[in-house]
Amino acid sequence: MKRVQLLLLLAVLALGYGGYLAFNSPLDVLQGEYTRMINIHVPTLWLAFLAFGVTALGSVLYLILKKERWDRLAASSAEIGVLFAVVGVFTGMVWGQAVWGQAWDWGDARLATTAVMVFVYVAYLVLRQSIEDPQKRAKRSAILGTVAVIQVPLVYFSVYLVRTLHQTPSIRPDGATMPTELLVSMLVNVAAFTLLYVALMAARMHVARVEAAAKFSEQIAGDTVSPPRLSEIQDV
Amino acid sequence: MSLWRQSLEIARIDLVVERRIGDTFRIILPFAVIALMIFSLAFGFDITSSGDAGPGVFWAIAILFGMQIALRSSALETESRRDLTTLLGLDPAARFLGRSISAAILLAGFTLVLFVAMLLLYSPELPGAWAGPLALALILTTIGLALLSTLAGEVTSGLRNRTALASLIVAPLVIPLVVGASQVLEAMERSSGILLWVLLLTTTDLVLLVAGVGLSRPLEEAAR
Repeated sequence: MKRVQLLLLLAVLALGYGGYLAFNSPLDVLQGEYTRMINIHVPTLWLAFLAFGVTALGSVLYLILKKERWDRLAASSAEIGVLFAVVGVFTGMVWGQAVWGQAWDWGDARLATTAVMVFVYVAYLVLRQSIEDPQKRAKRSAILGTVAVIQVPLVYFSVYLVRTLHQTPSIRPDGATMPTELLVSMLVNVAAFTLLYVALMAARMHVARVEAAAKFSEQIAGDTVSPPRLSEIQDV
Repeated sequence: MSLWRQSLEIARIDLVVERRIGDTFRIILPFAVIALMIFSLAFGFDITSSGDAGPGVFWAIAILFGMQIALRSSALETESRRDLTTLLGLDPAARFLGRSISAAILLAGFTLVLFVAMLLLYSPELPGAWAGPLALALILTTIGLALLSTLAGEVTSGLRNRTALASLIVAPLVIPLVVGASQVLEAMERSSGILLWVLLLTTTDLVLLVAGVGLSRPLEEAAR
């Protein structure tokens, strides 16, 4: 548990530094203060992609190795990914309202496909909640977790596939299309949010392990023994 | 018996069962045609001037109702039937393929009739030489929808909330197919190439096919 606390502390410090840079980076002439949205919008959506990628990886590894830890990894990452994706979509809507004059524009393929991606993983989480048996739940959700990832490239490439309001990536092989200070601020925030993701993952997986141990104890002993205390369960 | 023969046999049995029950063409198809009318009336359109919306409405209804058709075949699978086919040594991949083939055939028939109904009700202005590309888009979309629905049907088999949950799983994942299918006609109207959209549909189908066949054994294990 100490490792989780340390990770959370590091993440908070990194987010603090990212916030400082965000409020001291240059502003776009047209967008003004809304330029700072880049420091939340891009990192949260990057983490949603990462989280759903980790869900797919955990799912595949569970199907191959049949170890519960990979199922916990996939499930924890999907929960956190949905959280980040919702924040990313919401910040995108706020930004869109300021820049395009409306929060939701069907001309923005990235916004629509990202919102749809959230529903894919909401379905994944609902599937998990619908199955009591842990092994059955792990297997079925691993199958869905493996297939669901096909949505991620669609979201990424949507800006190239359809006519859209959303801009294409600002960081390209031939260089970035934004001022260096803004780029640095954004990258620091990406790193800080990634650290937050790692800390949240560690915390969520710890909780999942405790839940699984408690459930296992109930299944084996029924009411004849008391459930395990948290302090008895091995630390992260 | 080869995998292909097993798959065809499963598909044949599913289609025979469907012919006896007949829900697809007796209940779901008329319901879908009514939905075509409801869309037009709900938008407050004069039905003769709503031609532009026709193809879009067609794809939306074809996908949403088609999903129900494709999910039905796995809903008919009872535990005893599953046990029987397993004891007979049926390859899980053949079960997945066979179920998908029968769903794709039913969907192809359903969407074809629905498209004709849309033409009659909406009188859309279609680009020249639309039949070939549209048929291709229709075939690729129905294959993808059948594969995806079969997968979702297996993942949710036996669950209390199966009907709603399977739809919740399929609906967002079907987006690449909706985009690809609807953009074929749009691309033709713009006189731009349809290759990109055919490629999107084909890639989605292939990914789903590989995933479905590759995951068929864990799917069978998870269904017990």
